[in-house]
Amino acid sequence: MVNLAELTRDIRSGMVPAYVYNDADLFTLERDHLFARSWVFLAHESEIPSPGDYVVRRIVDDSFIVVRDEQGVVRVLFNMCLHRGMQLCRAELGNSSHFRCPYHGWSYKNDGRLIGLPFHGDAYGGDRGLVKKEQRLLPAPAVDSYRGLVFASLDPDVVPLRDYLGDFTFYLDFYLNQSPDGIELRGPQRWRIKSNWKIGAENFCGDSYHTPQTHTSVVEVGLFAEPKANKRKEGALYFAGRGGGTTYKLPPGTFEEKLRYVGYPDEMITRMRQNWTPEQQRVVAEDGFMVSAATAFPNLSFVHNWPQINADGLIRPFISLRQWQPVSESETEVLSWYAVDANAPDYYKEESYKAYLMCFGSSGMFEQDDVENWVSITSTAKGAMARRLLLNSRMGLGLDDDVISQKPPSFSGPGRAYVGYGEHNQRSWLSLWSQHLGYSGDPAEHSPVPAGDAAGEGDR
Amino acid sequence: MTSVTSTAAPAPLPYTSERHLLAWQWLVEEAHLFDRQRYTDWLGLLCEDIHYQMPVRVTTAKNAGFDRLAGMSHFDEDLYSLRKRVARFETEHAWTEDPPSRLRHYVSNVRTFATDDPAELRVESYVLVFRSRGDVRESALLSAGRVDVLREAGDGGLRLADRMIEVDESVLRMQNLGIFL
Repeated sequence: MVNLAELTRDIRSGMVPAYVYNDADLFTLERDHLFARSWVFLAHESEIPSPGDYVVRRIVDDSFIVVRDEQGVVRVLFNMCLHRGMQLCRAELGNSSHFRCPYHGWSYKNDGRLIGLPFHGDAYGGDRGLVKKEQRLLPAPAVDSYRGLVFASLDPDVVPLRDYLGDFTFYLDFYLNQSPDGIELRGPQRWRIKSNWKIGAENFCGDSYHTPQTHTSVVEVGLFAEPKANKRKEGALYFAGRGGGTTYKLPPGTFEEKLRYVGYPDEMITRMRQNWTPEQQRVVAEDGFMVSAATAFPNLSFVHNWPQINADGLIRPFISLRQWQPVSESETEVLSWYAVDANAPDYYKEESYKAYLMCFGSSGMFEQDDVENWVSITSTAKGAMARRLLLNSRMGLGLDDDVISQKPPSFSGPGRAYVGYGEHNQRSWLSLWSQHLGYSGDPAEHSPVPAGDAAGEGDR
Repeated sequence: MTSVTSTAAPAPLPYTSERHLLAWQWLVEEAHLFDRQRYTDWLGLLCEDIHYQMPVRVTTAKNAGFDRLAGMSHFDEDLYSLRKRVARFETEHAWTEDPPSRLRHYVSNVRTFATDDPAELRVESYVLVFRSRGDVRESALLSAGRVDVLREAGDGGLRLADRMIEVDESVLRMQNLGIFL
């Protein structure tokens, strides 16, 4: 079995036991503790705009119907018939006023209430044997949303979503709140990779160091110039609340000039100016940083890049949301959506979609190289030797846990920020992860988080 | 231009017809280029206005009336983006294909249709891609139908003007689409 005290101590010292990326016992702990208590992303409201629209999504092994009922309320219903446990909805999306079980015909309104019970009188003696109106599909224990992102938790006592996300919402809004109507999603593309789910989540929350190496080819063919080593290291890494991410440093200029540089048309920039707080605008205009990859703990990631999408040199940014859905300790289902400001002009939506397809998703040129790495890590982490190896994840710390990384000259966002390469974010993510595995001791007594990795509230 | 979504001609050309045989040969020769990863040569077989698309298939109820996602594909390419993909493979740093995959494209069920445009053929085919990576990893399969428009070029050969790939899985069991089909 896993020694959680030792594991937590190692993680907090920045030395990551290699086996964590392929271990069945740990996967059980993740399922029973981490995914049973966290807020887990299920869908965006734009995927189910009309009454009756539904998508079917999972939290590890639990299938949920995320449906907009006839009153317009988004419901999250456990996808199992109350009678004999049949999987009620076997499509992955659609529109329906009700869901009928194929086994014995119990049927439920799209708000979860049982409305049809064949032979109710003959079989149950009517309400004498089974009170029909008291029956409803099991709802997710907790449901909450942030700017249209619908999350559920298996823990009815989970803290409210906004408290859970904390100051990370400041950074989420760069992706989600470019105009008053928020984003709309297309997708997801879904595919399965023989990789542990944590690797992608960690990578997106802070690994700017991999970009110049892993994604060399993308720079070489002129698709996206920013990952060049000399540019990538100028970006800031931030961590706040339940999430962290990477940024790129933009060339000097005003707010408008910087957003034009990444390819936004003026009408969208005007709305960002109106919609973002003065602090959010300062991150772009004065601090000079533009968000790129990020992860909301545990397994929802974001990316924002700005490739060249045609031979004339047109630059367009895109946003992608992606979920690292755990299948087993060695397999992950990736769900990758294209996201765009709902108020963006149609021509922009199409050009940005093209930018997304070239870079990320099942055929994306960035994604291809990432996944190859992650599959290789997972297979190598399986054996006995991986149990003897602590992976050095101490970048940004000195040998005495002193912080080597520099703070940005100015940074207007909340939480902790460093400029340049560093693994502070991955350590923060892994610390959160280890705290969610059910260990009851207080590892901080034995091994405090290095000061440079402290949660960072008030630490600018 | 012939649309890949237009209703099928009443019957395919006879399997003995020369136009069918040329189209069939074209597909087999294309598979040969794919399996040897001679992608630059493959680009030479594409029309300037190529549209290369692979929609996302989804699992929906029988009466839903759709089984593709609206507005989202795995591939939705023009010549620029296909050239970028190929150029990337030609660099020394496309790690995903180094070491390269071993590929087989099995092409079958070829049906060729005449179209209103005498210079264009509509060609349906099935393709099964076998992909092996590394020495010990499990191999991956991808099954799809394709509907192509092949256009006669000035040199008498055929060029691909349009391809609609209908993949048979809603969740792909392949780590990426670092291949073409």
